[in-house]
Amino acid sequence: MKYVIVGAGRVGLRTARVLREEDHEVTVVEFDPETAERAESAGFEVVVGDGAREDTLESAGIDEADALGALTGDLNVNFAACMIGKHHGCRTVMRIDEDYREEIYQKYASDVDEIVYPERLGAIGAKNALLGGNVQAIADIAQSLQVLLFTVTDQSPMAGYTLSEVALPSEARILAFGKGEDPLGVPLADDSLEVGDRVAVLADFSVLDEVRQLLVGDADAVTSVTGGEA
Amino acid sequence: MVVAYVMVKVNTGEADRLKAAMSDLDGVEEVHVVAGDVDFVVKVNVDSPGAVKEVAATGIQGISGVENTQTYIAMD
Repeated sequence: MKYVIVGAGRVGLRTARVLREEDHEVTVVEFDPETAERAESAGFEVVVGDGAREDTLESAGIDEADALGALTGDLNVNFAACMIGKHHGCRTVMRIDEDYREEIYQKYASDVDEIVYPERLGAIGAKNALLGGNVQAIADIAQSLQVLLFTVTDQSPMAGYTLSEVALPSEARILAFGKGEDPLGVPLADDSLEVGDRVAVLADFSVLDEVRQLLVGDADAVTSVTGGEA
Repeated sequence: MVVAYVMVKVNTGEADRLKAAMSDLDGVEEVHVVAGDVDFVVKVNVDSPGAVKEVAATGIQGISGVENTQTYIAMD
């Protein structure tokens, strides 16, 4: 897939890097020559110019691109870039700078397919770090649906069992499994759960404590769950 | 007649409520939700420069959810 990323700042460049790691073709548009040079020396194809202008985006290959990420810190530039991107048939993603604006853009900005508010994602990361180790929120899928990564501890009631033996609540599914430090893969019925293994689970909020109790065995969670199912 | 444009920055996503509240004010001719670093542009059309202040300061800023306003008086 081919992507145009507008803005080579922290958010833009990091996004470009992630896309490149997954072997996508990325062109970065950056207004500031110094920032552009930094992106170039990181090996990116960079077009120096104003991302709010059609000719700049055209030289970045907007016509062949599948999607455009408008990720500068300037809302006016981001919105204009999305309008141009949409006009050229791209899927458009716009970065916003304040959370209350998410609702407004969702409703009124028909040229914007998706809105990102980096601070919200940062907050999820910070929360994970503060909670520590064994449970990590990966993504909010819907209002009450979250994907979490659990690390099996020696307290875990399921340690020593296989995945097929793990009886999760009905509102939860195992999505991926990683042995020790190995990357996560597709879960197999006979994968055995040992201390340090990681399990990615899609779960409704109402059963999170139960899932945590099964996979991590957190003592506090056990106490809070024994009162009955939420 | 005095025409003025008021840039309105808010702190809530309830664009519909704010738009309705601003449209209801006497002297307000048009209200647009806009993309960018302000959230609304409001066109005011009143009899005197003093009335502009009345609409912007008392009227618009009195609506809950409005953070600040900046007013430009038209010269032509």
